[in-house]
Amino acid sequence: MRNIQDLKKDEQDILSLKRRSKVVFAFLFILILASIFKIFQLTVLEKANYSVESEKNRIIEVPIFPSRGLITLEDGTIIAENIVTQGIFIQGSLLESSKDQLDILYRDVLDLERKFPVPQTTKQNQKIWLARDLSSKELAKYEFHKNSLSNVKLGISLRRYLPHKNLFSHVIGHLGPITSDERLSLSKTDYPVDAFIGKVGIEKVYEKSLKGSVGKSIIEVDVYGNKIREIERIDPERPQNITLSLNFKLQKIAREELGGRRGAVVALDPNTGMIKALVSSPDYNPNILNGSEKGILVKDSSKEEAPFFNRAISGSYPPASTIKPFIGLLGLEENIINESTIVEDVGFFQLKEDGRKYRGWKEDGHGRVNLNKAIVESSDVYFYQLASQLTIDRISNFLSKFGFGMISGIDLYNESKSILPTRNWKLGNIGEAWFVGDTINIGIGQGYITSTPIQLAVSVSAIATRGTIFRPKLIISNQDSKKPEIFKKVQIGNEKHWDSIEKSMISVINSWNGTAHNLYEEDGILIAGKTGTAQIKSLVDQELTVREEYEGVRQNIQDRDHALFASYGPVPNPNLVVIVIVENGESGSAVAAPIAKKLIEQNQINLAE
Amino acid sequence: MSNRNPLDYSLNRPLSSGYNPIRYLFKDVILYFCLLSILIFGLAMLYSSSGQSVAMVIRQSVYVFFGLVLMTFISHLKPDSYKNILMHSYWVGLLLLIYVLVFPASGYSTSRWIDFGFFSFQPSEIIRLILPLSLIAYLCRKESAIQLSDWFSTTLAAFICAYLVFEQPDLGTSIIVFTSGLIPIYLAGLPYKIILVYLGSAALAAPFIWANLLDYQKQRVLTYFDNNVDPLGDGWNIAQSKTAIGSGGFFGKGYLEGTQSQLNFLPESHSDFIFSVVGEEFGLLGILILFFIYTLIIWRIFKIGFEARSNFERLACSSLGFIFLLFILINVSMVIGIIPVVGVPLPLISQGGTSIVVHLLAFGVILSAKKPYL
Repeated sequence: MRNIQDLKKDEQDILSLKRRSKVVFAFLFILILASIFKIFQLTVLEKANYSVESEKNRIIEVPIFPSRGLITLEDGTIIAENIVTQGIFIQGSLLESSKDQLDILYRDVLDLERKFPVPQTTKQNQKIWLARDLSSKELAKYEFHKNSLSNVKLGISLRRYLPHKNLFSHVIGHLGPITSDERLSLSKTDYPVDAFIGKVGIEKVYEKSLKGSVGKSIIEVDVYGNKIREIERIDPERPQNITLSLNFKLQKIAREELGGRRGAVVALDPNTGMIKALVSSPDYNPNILNGSEKGILVKDSSKEEAPFFNRAISGSYPPASTIKPFIGLLGLEENIINESTIVEDVGFFQLKEDGRKYRGWKEDGHGRVNLNKAIVESSDVYFYQLASQLTIDRISNFLSKFGFGMISGIDLYNESKSILPTRNWKLGNIGEAWFVGDTINIGIGQGYITSTPIQLAVSVSAIATRGTIFRPKLIISNQDSKKPEIFKKVQIGNEKHWDSIEKSMISVINSWNGTAHNLYEEDGILIAGKTGTAQIKSLVDQELTVREEYEGVRQNIQDRDHALFASYGPVPNPNLVVIVIVENGESGSAVAAPIAKKLIEQNQINLAE
Repeated sequence: MSNRNPLDYSLNRPLSSGYNPIRYLFKDVILYFCLLSILIFGLAMLYSSSGQSVAMVIRQSVYVFFGLVLMTFISHLKPDSYKNILMHSYWVGLLLLIYVLVFPASGYSTSRWIDFGFFSFQPSEIIRLILPLSLIAYLCRKESAIQLSDWFSTTLAAFICAYLVFEQPDLGTSIIVFTSGLIPIYLAGLPYKIILVYLGSAALAAPFIWANLLDYQKQRVLTYFDNNVDPLGDGWNIAQSKTAIGSGGFFGKGYLEGTQSQLNFLPESHSDFIFSVVGEEFGLLGILILFFIYTLIIWRIFKIGFEARSNFERLACSSLGFIFLLFILINVSMVIGIIPVVGVPLPLISQGGTSIVVHLLAFGVILSAKKPYL
């Protein structure tokens, strides 16, 4: 039974409960207000930001890289292509949780020689390559352990492959992982962190056109990076293939003839500037750097020979006696000599009676020498005298017209500038005034003057074309293949002087006393050439006798002279200029000249086909 | 209301208004209808947030059905008949809490779970609701006024449960368990003098408690202050959750169209973070409708409570009403990033059988306080 007292107590309890409920509710009301305000803020005020965030989460752009442009020769031979290699990657989001699998991968699957960089998570939706370019052995091991490696996946990547390996190494060059410096100026989508980029050679110079433009696929992904669907696709622009002017046979012969000795061969068509062969020796296999082949890049023993150094465009050598035709031409032009001017070569030259003796290579001298004989027998004394009369100013001025002291502008990376000294040059670089003795040395291509093989080829082509020098070029592009670019035009006063110089250069081979008479064949192709022997140790004022210098093979190979041969043929209508340099080859005629002859002959066969 | 004459109370008993089986079975039709709609909505959200897993929805439906049967059954009992059972259920809860500490289930980093193979549950989920009910039952066990010692013993009982949860270790839940114990004690009339004593001693003990927090517990509290420091930890969850709700805008992206949840960017989207899925797929509008139904439920709870006849019924209803509101608020504030991450599901919607069944059991107790329509 409820009585009034109970009811009163109830009433009090309810009042107390309601009062206390209000207190509790007041506390919770703070949270209610805060929540409602925050929800309003999220869904109304900041909706736009969060929509962007949400889209960024699910929509990613995957670049589609076009396969790198092929490099071919004119006859269609492919000399640089792309092959597929396999690698192992992991999604960035799974990296944290896959430490065990990575251990298995590194321990049981991958070769121990591999370096294992600790992968850094940068972006959640990014592929992280753990290993690239797997060997077949690694692939087999991966298949075997596949079940315990659920998070790491196989992926393919394209790698540059040169089917002829070393043959075109110094022309095509190689690719390598992009450096952070290189990336600074490039588009981040075109070049991701793990991109490869042309490092040298054609691959570098024509990187842009070989690369093509990157397309993209816009895809929806889940948090694990799995593709849900493709939303949009922009196809990449395929790069154009590049055709080079090189001739496969000439290139192959040049490389084989050098046979791994340090040296270089440059052969070009003087009528167009197109390079037909460009070999620097020793060379390397670019595929190993490209990641398309495994193996040892360079033997330890050949490291000192600088196999990555492109001697054909970057090697600086004294032009030595190959400069004599140019000096002779200048003498004729300046009327200091004519064809019948005689100099008495007694084996040395002195400016004054009691002056320093400049020795010729032949101890006893060549006797009475005119210009023709001076070139054919390579009389040093003749050109000592001629140079001393010409003065350095005239020599520099004249040689620069032929491209001496310049870069030829061939479409390769890292061409060195040859040195054509002047009075100012010496003052600036050596810090001394110019002496007549310096000019005398220049007369035989020694002293301060240097040439690169490509520059020498360009200069010699002026004689072959009677003054027109075309810009040397490797690539045959569609646009300007018809019109070769003229690099320089040499104007001389008397056109007949070309003929007399050429005649002498032919006699270097054809005359019994020519320095390259060993090349002579009856009914053979007419070749104009000039041997050169670049001295490494100075002849002047040495203890050794001239005979010892020249005829005794020096014990130290490094001290031997560089053998040079500059030539073109066939005469008339020459179509190939060949420069051969064999470092420490000692004799231009015996070592360098036969290579040039083979190339000129082969070029004739090629053209006849 | 205070101007009502107490005598009216007996006179105003509803006279026979005709027998209505639905009113008889459901007791409070509005509350029952609201509960049903929330539960069905919850199943639909579960389908969306679980990667459209039918199996998970069926499993949850079984719990919902079992919970509804239990609720309806309890609602027809007289509170006096189960009051004693409720009071002693405290010991069951306590045993479960001790059990998880002594025999932690394998496969979990913390000892929060009891695993029976076919189903597993967290005792803390049960204790959150059992504790207040048992405390009220204890305080109202006698007709006479509550004695001074009862205040201390009930506070101690709540503190023991909270401490056991803290040892699991689970700081957030521990605080929630303690709060859900304190609410009924306060509502029952805990004298303000004792409250002052409690606050004073808590202030003295605070530095000691902080020194004893585990690193990850400190971490949880600290990350709250800067979500950008640790985008893959709790901060990442919150950032993704806010992105989901914010990108939903006013109208939402549409059912099953929420990219954050469907593509798994939203972690725990079917359990603690299911509210974000509601926000993403139904927008602010959906959230407001959900809140409206929750408000209706709470309004009914207090209405039943204030109309109830015994002090036990009144206290049970108002305590459970506040605890229900508290859980909703904690879950929502956690998901939108205004309080640190704690493991509280969204009541009646988040995946989890234990939570659903215990909540429905509590609603059974609430409904039983309503006078039957006869």
